Amino acid sequence: MTKTQAVIIGGGATGAGILRDLSMRGVKAVLLEQRDLAHGTSSRFHGLLHSGGRYVVKDPESAAECVAENRILRKIAGQCVEDTEGFFVRLPEDDAAFEQQWLAACRALGLPVAPLAPQEAVRLEPNLTPRIAAAYRVPDAAIDGFRLCWQNAAAAARHGGEVLTYTEAIGIERDGGKVTGVTVRDALSGETRTIPCDLVINAAGSWVGKVAALAGADVHVKPDRGTLVAFNHRFTSRIINRLRPPSDGDIFVPHGSVTILGTTSVAADRPDDTAPRSDEVLKLLRIGQELFTNLADYRILRAFAGTRPLYSAAEGRAASRNFAVIDHRAEGIDGLITVVGGKLTTYRLMAEKAADLACERLGIDAPCRTAGEPLVADPAPGLLAMAKKYFPAGGAELAAARLGDAFGAVVRRLEDDPADRALICECELVTLAEIKEIAARATTHGLSDIRRRTRLGMGTCQGAFCGFRSVAAVCDAGLADKGAAELLRDFLEERWSGIRPVLWGKQLREEELLRGIYGASLNIDGAMHDEGI
Amino acid sequence: MKTCNNNIDACTACASCTALCPVAAVVRDFPGPKMAGPAAERFRKAGAPTDAALAYCTNCKNCDITCPSGVPVAALNMRARAEHVKKHGRRLRDWILAHGEHMAKLAMPGQPLTNLGMANPVTRQMLKAIGISGSRPLPRYAPRTFLRQYGKLRQQPFADKVVFFPGCFINYNAPQVGLDLIAVLQANRHQVIVPPGLACCGVPLVTGGYLEEAAAAAKRNLAALADYARQGIPILTACTSCGLMIKQEYGELFGADGAGEVAARTYDAMEFLLELHDRGRLNTAFTPAGGKYLYHAPCHLRAQGIGRPALELLSVLPGVAVTDLDAGCCGIAGSYGFKADRYDISMAIGQELFAKIKAAPADAVLADCGTCRLQIAHGTGAKVLHPISVIRKAYEPEYKL
Repeated sequence: MTKTQAVIIGGGATGAGILRDLSMRGVKAVLLEQRDLAHGTSSRFHGLLHSGGRYVVKDPESAAECVAENRILRKIAGQCVEDTEGFFVRLPEDDAAFEQQWLAACRALGLPVAPLAPQEAVRLEPNLTPRIAAAYRVPDAAIDGFRLCWQNAAAAARHGGEVLTYTEAIGIERDGGKVTGVTVRDALSGETRTIPCDLVINAAGSWVGKVAALAGADVHVKPDRGTLVAFNHRFTSRIINRLRPPSDGDIFVPHGSVTILGTTSVAADRPDDTAPRSDEVLKLLRIGQELFTNLADYRILRAFAGTRPLYSAAEGRAASRNFAVIDHRAEGIDGLITVVGGKLTTYRLMAEKAADLACERLGIDAPCRTAGEPLVADPAPGLLAMAKKYFPAGGAELAAARLGDAFGAVVRRLEDDPADRALICECELVTLAEIKEIAARATTHGLSDIRRRTRLGMGTCQGAFCGFRSVAAVCDAGLADKGAAELLRDFLEERWSGIRPVLWGKQLREEELLRGIYGASLNIDGAMHDEGI
Repeated sequence: MKTCNNNIDACTACASCTALCPVAAVVRDFPGPKMAGPAAERFRKAGAPTDAALAYCTNCKNCDITCPSGVPVAALNMRARAEHVKKHGRRLRDWILAHGEHMAKLAMPGQPLTNLGMANPVTRQMLKAIGISGSRPLPRYAPRTFLRQYGKLRQQPFADKVVFFPGCFINYNAPQVGLDLIAVLQANRHQVIVPPGLACCGVPLVTGGYLEEAAAAAKRNLAALADYARQGIPILTACTSCGLMIKQEYGELFGADGAGEVAARTYDAMEFLLELHDRGRLNTAFTPAGGKYLYHAPCHLRAQGIGRPALELLSVLPGVAVTDLDAGCCGIAGSYGFKADRYDISMAIGQELFAKIKAAPADAVLADCGTCRLQIAHGTGAKVLHPISVIRKAYEPEYKL
């Protein structure tokens, strides 16, 4: 492979943000991701764009960063952000003194917070408990991690940035103390090769320790596991935070068609310790019920877990959420930079600081421009009007936001072929055109890759119907060497991992239907052949 | 009583409702009940606008009948449609069709003239201009309303009482059905009470998107019926849409006070008589009149989940042969089939039913719903009766009122 200036390891928001930042500054850069973009922590979180309110008492520095970045991301990442606003709600059993402390801290920081009469809070969000002692409005918003990563990558591509997914870094090559390249393995084919470069930026989140070790460096990151629950519909239009010292299960985020409740906080052994457990879900429900009395009636779609890359001597939630940019030159490794800690809301700032240092090392004098330019342009009004003909009400806008740069190509497919207008994923309003377009991209290797970019299979049926409907289109696109059965199995296994810990109530009925479709009707596991049927 | 707010969560996306939706079968632009109902509701909760395609739904409730998960699909659609028309405005035509009771009251005083007026070419032209189909005859108003005739009836007093909710169609267009029911109940030693103060049940208001007015009608009717329900007096309807409204939708759509108590005491007329029969209390001194009939089960009867009581009851009549047509929805859906832009859809839905009727000559077609009877007569030219009229005839001449 031809030489590049910088290799970034880790395709989460920070890595994709660094790729965009460096590319905009004219640095030739390649981003490596071991799986798919946003496969790690950048999609395994609430989807909350913090106003700063959550950290204002314990960690005012983090909170101040959130206040600033929240404003920037609303401007540059409009298609990833839904301006839901947020409430902080105190219940009678929560410490009233903390409320005063919190208010004072918000005011000191300039975080706009407006008091709200409890009955007004319930009028605006009728599913909230009426037992509210105090409520405040803050400029929280919902943010989509998948979209944010892909739109950063698309923006970087416009400036020459390159993304290699399913590419694992297995070695950091050095000549003396100087980094000379990264050896990678193609996760699908197993082939290895070396990408020569001047600089490596380790932005691997919870995996930074592993990546640093490739160069013999030591970065102490403590993966901290957080489990979340996704519900089938939005029972709140606003983000609801419990107004008390940050604890488990005290944030609800309306996200697209669903609501997400989280999270827990437990030290994890591994960065990929992301299998959620039923006891964690039950704990979240127990706590969440205090804010939403009917919580147990709402259908859970799935649970999921991610690991926070906490960078501090302290553990868990008490640790600083602030980030650090480490230049390993001090340890005798010239050309390795690690960025660690932080939170998704501050990903752009982390990328900026990492890119500043990278440019300094590369001797490039170019200012950061990521705070001014939008990730992707808004779709042209004509394009949106065209798309509206083919979607149920509201569907075209959703597709435009999730597809970003790819929206135009999808609309052209819709215009050209009436057969492509079929809604394949009826729960999330995804057309065949969209699935074909994403399937044709070089970065797509399976149905789950399509899911992360389109929301295919992320709604009510969790793949029961859209799975077999989309697999034909995917096979036509010549995806991998896998057959339809294997593609479906991979897709359903991945869905199953989130359904298994919440296998009760209405979701259990759905799963039984799914089992009937794939096991009995489609005989996908071949069991009927084994039994000689 | 719980309303339908959260039940979208029960939908498994199986789309059985769409497979069996009479409208989706003939209209490509209608995405089907699942997409218009529980699926779209998830996006409406997320701020998406209502979809204009909701207007295609007839509220026939075959989706509710089909749903294996108990999702009140039609109610979700009716609520969303109400939101839609509130935002996008309504046509004069839709106001008129939703307010049949007002129109009938206006028409009544000069009634024979009204029918004449409705049929004349100038009036038809005018109705056509506002979007009412010119291809279908409008239902005629009866010379004297049911209520007026009921007021003059001298019933035999019996200890067993029932309340009768006549509804607009029987009151204004088909009073004989109500009179036949009273005759049959008298023959079965029941006295019929029609309480004062009843309003339209609200079905046309719901389908027209006037949910607040429908809720007010529900409140008024429940107030008039609740005392009887509390005394354990059965409440009868002889219109399957009125019946379904009182039994199910007053609670489901409005969570109205007293809806549960009244619903528990409300019976379809045929359901009530079949129960008398099952308890050995039905007067079976029938005249062997005989006759060959075809029976159409209205969608709103099937949605009540009480089987086909008329079919069972008629089989008790000596010499009477009844065949269940089992051909789904007739297509008219109350006022739906009177709309110029819905007439063709309405007739397309009814094709299977029409074909079966035309292929099987009979003395008459029987249907428990007034507008089903209009549709069948229009689509086939057949004579169409409420089953109660056949039963009443079987009690003559001994029990002539």
